Amino acid sequence: MSRPARVKIRSLPTGVRGLDDILGGGIPEFSFNIIAGPPGSGKTTLAHQIVFANATPKKPALYFTVLGEPALKMLRYQQQYSFFDESKLGKAVRFINLSDVVLDKDLDAVLEEIIQQVTAIGPGVVVVDSFRTVVRKAVAGASELEMQSFIQRLAQFLTSWEATTFLVGEYVPEEMRDNPIFTVADGLFWLSQVPERNSVVRKLQIIKLRGQESVPGLHTVRISTSGLQAFSRTLGLTGQKIRPKRRHRLSIGIPELDTMMGGGILEGDSLLVAGPSGTGKSALATQFIAEGLRHGEPGIMAIFEERPKGYTDRAGDFGLNLKTPQEQGKLEVLYLRPLDLSVDETMQEILDAIERVGAKRLVIDSLLGFEMALAPGFRTDFRESLYRMIAALTGAGVTILSTVEVEDKFTEMSLSHYTISFLTDDIIRLRYVEIDSQLRKMMVVIKMRGGNHSKDIREYVITNKGVVVIHPRTTDYEGLTTGIPTRTGPRPAQKEEAAPEPKAKR
Amino acid sequence: MRAFAERLIAHETLRDNASGNKTPLAILVDDRLRPHLRTLMGNVGFRALLSRALALASAEVPWLRAVHVKADGALEGLDEFGAPVQPTALFEGSVVLLAQVLGLLVAFIGENMTLRLMREVWPKLTFSGLDLGAGDTDEKKQIVRLNANRQKKP
Repeated sequence: MSRPARVKIRSLPTGVRGLDDILGGGIPEFSFNIIAGPPGSGKTTLAHQIVFANATPKKPALYFTVLGEPALKMLRYQQQYSFFDESKLGKAVRFINLSDVVLDKDLDAVLEEIIQQVTAIGPGVVVVDSFRTVVRKAVAGASELEMQSFIQRLAQFLTSWEATTFLVGEYVPEEMRDNPIFTVADGLFWLSQVPERNSVVRKLQIIKLRGQESVPGLHTVRISTSGLQAFSRTLGLTGQKIRPKRRHRLSIGIPELDTMMGGGILEGDSLLVAGPSGTGKSALATQFIAEGLRHGEPGIMAIFEERPKGYTDRAGDFGLNLKTPQEQGKLEVLYLRPLDLSVDETMQEILDAIERVGAKRLVIDSLLGFEMALAPGFRTDFRESLYRMIAALTGAGVTILSTVEVEDKFTEMSLSHYTISFLTDDIIRLRYVEIDSQLRKMMVVIKMRGGNHSKDIREYVITNKGVVVIHPRTTDYEGLTTGIPTRTGPRPAQKEEAAPEPKAKR
Repeated sequence: MRAFAERLIAHETLRDNASGNKTPLAILVDDRLRPHLRTLMGNVGFRALLSRALALASAEVPWLRAVHVKADGALEGLDEFGAPVQPTALFEGSVVLLAQVLGLLVAFIGENMTLRLMREVWPKLTFSGLDLGAGDTDEKKQIVRLNANRQKKP
């Protein structure tokens, strides 16, 4: 005997990018929801986005305003958002002011007015903003039981009339325990603004959502001219991984280094280039991208320390043209707004850019700059976030080159202060070495997860062609990795030095 | 804006010529603007908007200084002053007041949204902008005729 089919709950889109995924598909139809949070956290904007995403002339949205923000001001400000579709006003989206009823009458009259409007219009979405005001008035004039009865009747009526409802209110978390509204609600969207030193980060938590598996935890939210955008804390961990089984080796644009790496970097790998300031990490990263472009592989450069123009101009000094591919849509240089980012936002921006250009190669220059661009609260989770981000991006089949600045110590050779080397498949270490009263540069491939690699320590210079490996392995020194090697071979005659590495010409 | 307001007031005058009991100003406020705008902004919001518009209009039309906005958003003082005020002056006062209401709405919510509101208030009128240019020709002719008639009256 077959079991009768379970009811299928349809999900309504929120109109907020990223939020449907967090909710597990969208807002359950006919649900009774609370949008809560302090002033300025984006409650009204969220409600408007939901309204405009769902309202149609056939199934309109009713937006009841109560005392809070004057309707004219609300319209004045909300129309600045790109989701605000004026053509929907009147027929699909209707604003009704309940202030007079709330001020002059009791809860029964408020309910009666809502019932009258809903019965007449038959909306698909109903918003009461701010419901908190209704409750305040009620608390002053009615008993707790009356209040509970009002909420119960309101919820039952709106659900029976097949309306998905949102009550907007300025609540504080402590109220959740005693306020009956939180018991009745099917969904509870909690918005907040968290100050972290001088940064403020907006967050969203889906505290409750009946009938659907939402993503738990705090998610970052940003409000821009497009309205709210939500960044799931599990962004990138879901979805299909498309890393190919048989992977090609990609040239890094420096033939000698390709050889050292066993033929190049494996497609879909994450390569970390670590070295102190001035050792050519950005130059190497630029060569990596330029080589990809030469082979028809679009790329993304996410830069944090320098503006795109300066970066592009400097690539030109190495004879690498980054301007034309940008004009052709094959390369994007992303300069990510510093100081209050979350890793999830950054990842979303990069994923969007990857999709836009069909990128195969990605440069993150540098991880230190990336960390500095984050709001202080996110810096503590940087390693975990980075792990998630790299997994998501390489999972999407993109080959990543990240740079990280490390301080050279002349007793040891560290890889990075993040201890993130376990996150990467391959590591190249650049460092300064004192030889014959000169501070020269050397590189070594530390790790290649996908195969064997050269163990040689090689000297290189930065010329107007970028990073160039100049010498084969030398056996005349030992202790090169300390930065202060000891000569073991014969000392050749010294002559007055011409600069070993002419500066790139502008 | 003034021409647009004039068109709306003329439309009301033409429409309610038969009833003749209410002034165009009373019709405008009580029957047209108040029900629609109060739904959107509540009684308090409507009163505030109308009071401001009245204050601005009174600077231009002195007899409007005797008119006040009641607690329910209706105008008072029209009965006393409706009779002695010349029809032309009454018409002009109504136009100025409506133009001020429209001006405030445009300042707050922009021209597009104001037009949408006005379309809700006067659903049978067609207009694409806050000027007279978009009106239909017959109506324009009627307004011209009406204005001419008003000029002839003592």
